Amino acid sequence: MTGSLQATRSAVPAAARPRVNPIQQWWVLTVRMIIPTLRNGELATQIIGSMVFTVGYYLPLKEMMGQVQPLSSYAQYLTPLIILQAIWFAAVSAAFRAATDSVQGINRRFRAMPIPAIMPLASRLTASMYRCCIALVVSVGCGHVIGFRFHGSVLHILGFAGLVLLIGATLAVIGDLIGIASQNPEATAPMMLVPQLTLGLASVGLQPVDRFPDWIQGFVRNQPLSQWVYALQALAGDTTDAAPKVTWAVMTPSLIWAIGAGALAVVLHRIVSRRRR
Amino acid sequence: MARSSPVQEPVTQAPYRPGGRHRVARVWENSPRRLVPQVLVLTVRILRRWSRDPATLVQSLVMPAGFLIALDIVFGDVIKQVSGQSGLYGQVPLVALVGGMTGAIIGAISVMREREVGLLARFWVVPMHRAGGLLSRMLAEAIRIVVITLVVMGVGMALGFRFHQGVLAAIAWAFMPALFGVALSAAVLTLALFSSSTLVPQATDIVVAVLMFFSIGFVPLDQYPDWLQPFVEHQPVSYTIKAMRGLSLDGPIAEPVLFTVLWSVGIFAVCAVPLAIGYRRASRRG
Repeated sequence: MTGSLQATRSAVPAAARPRVNPIQQWWVLTVRMIIPTLRNGELATQIIGSMVFTVGYYLPLKEMMGQVQPLSSYAQYLTPLIILQAIWFAAVSAAFRAATDSVQGINRRFRAMPIPAIMPLASRLTASMYRCCIALVVSVGCGHVIGFRFHGSVLHILGFAGLVLLIGATLAVIGDLIGIASQNPEATAPMMLVPQLTLGLASVGLQPVDRFPDWIQGFVRNQPLSQWVYALQALAGDTTDAAPKVTWAVMTPSLIWAIGAGALAVVLHRIVSRRRR
Repeated sequence: MARSSPVQEPVTQAPYRPGGRHRVARVWENSPRRLVPQVLVLTVRILRRWSRDPATLVQSLVMPAGFLIALDIVFGDVIKQVSGQSGLYGQVPLVALVGGMTGAIIGAISVMREREVGLLARFWVVPMHRAGGLLSRMLAEAIRIVVITLVVMGVGMALGFRFHQGVLAAIAWAFMPALFGVALSAAVLTLALFSSSTLVPQATDIVVAVLMFFSIGFVPLDQYPDWLQPFVEHQPVSYTIKAMRGLSLDGPIAEPVLFTVLWSVGIFAVCAVPLAIGYRRASRRG
């Protein structure tokens, strides 16, 4: 018994387990996701996409919706929704990358290497946050061009950026989950775009809740996108008093939606990736 | 086939036929008589794959329905106020077109995957008509878009959309989105054959977003700023929607149909040569 085990051991080339540095691994895997976006046009399409969605909502709807919204200008009212749509697009490409990685088998390869199990996900999320930051900067810039301004204190501006990035992280985990679970790159974009378009249209981001038919107002007011729009409108402030106030009553539902959905997605992600093993 | 010898020969040994004439098929592989049945087989293959893929079904059937309902809820009342007629006659065509155009991504990515796994190369080395692969793609896209149009039409009917111009106009109506949608699919496929995989979905989304937001199906033409109206009025999606409005509610038909055809033929003309070259190159890889 012992002899055969010895024989097996000598037949397999043995070496000391290499010393690994998780930080360096995380950095290498993150750079692997980020560098290609500079070369293959992904960054350019993301910037152009944010611009297209800004003018695409603003120009056609300015006349029609501008009269029925309460804030000082339609740009002030619309920009939170535009920012949310931009980070949702960042999550779509996160899902696409996760599904591509899954299909091409590099995740299996990573599992055979001395890498902490969380590291591929962590690096994909870091890359997603990089996309989110770009989406945030570009869409706030686009909003500034059409007339969006911050009227609150510096703290509110930081809260605005922090909330957008928190939502972006949640959406990125959800996108990654969809990519891993479907293992089908073609599928990811349509599956993410369905809720984006329907929730985006049926939210308070385009027009106030009382403009919707009675039977759907409850859904419109309470769905996550609307609550995030309320919170972002409050943090951005306005010259008039019509914007929601920065109170816990406004902020809590949006934080609960973001953190709750993110936590649920993390749990499901663990279940799915454990099953794959 | 018809030349097989009546004498039973050993299976291990090929029968001797002078001049190698046994290898010459009666019908040349690039003859039109081969093309039609081959295109049908390949089209059915693509359609069968789509019908078994839940993501494609969601994209084709669920998304347009949800999108149309959301559009109607959000803009229905406002558009009726500013234009006097139901917004559905612009929204139903718009949603059918958007569904058809975003679906082009699925076709393009699956062609790229078939290139990676070598299926296109396999098709290239069997005696198949050279145009079969591309033509079956286009035919499958056309069928997919017609199906989406019919689904959207059903949802629109439930919301109050009606045909006022008779049966023939209704039949023509159902095929209008396919006319432009297939041309756009050809353009997306051309892009896919010459670029990286991540670029295609995003670039297509941007094009679709531009065509959707700045069309007369989103909000009426006079809602756009003056400087933008010429673009909104003359872009292909607006022409298609105008033609479909004429075929369902009322309005001009001949002129918008003509311009839709011109746009589609124009896109085909620009894409045809690069598309054929790209497909040939993809087929000969590996």
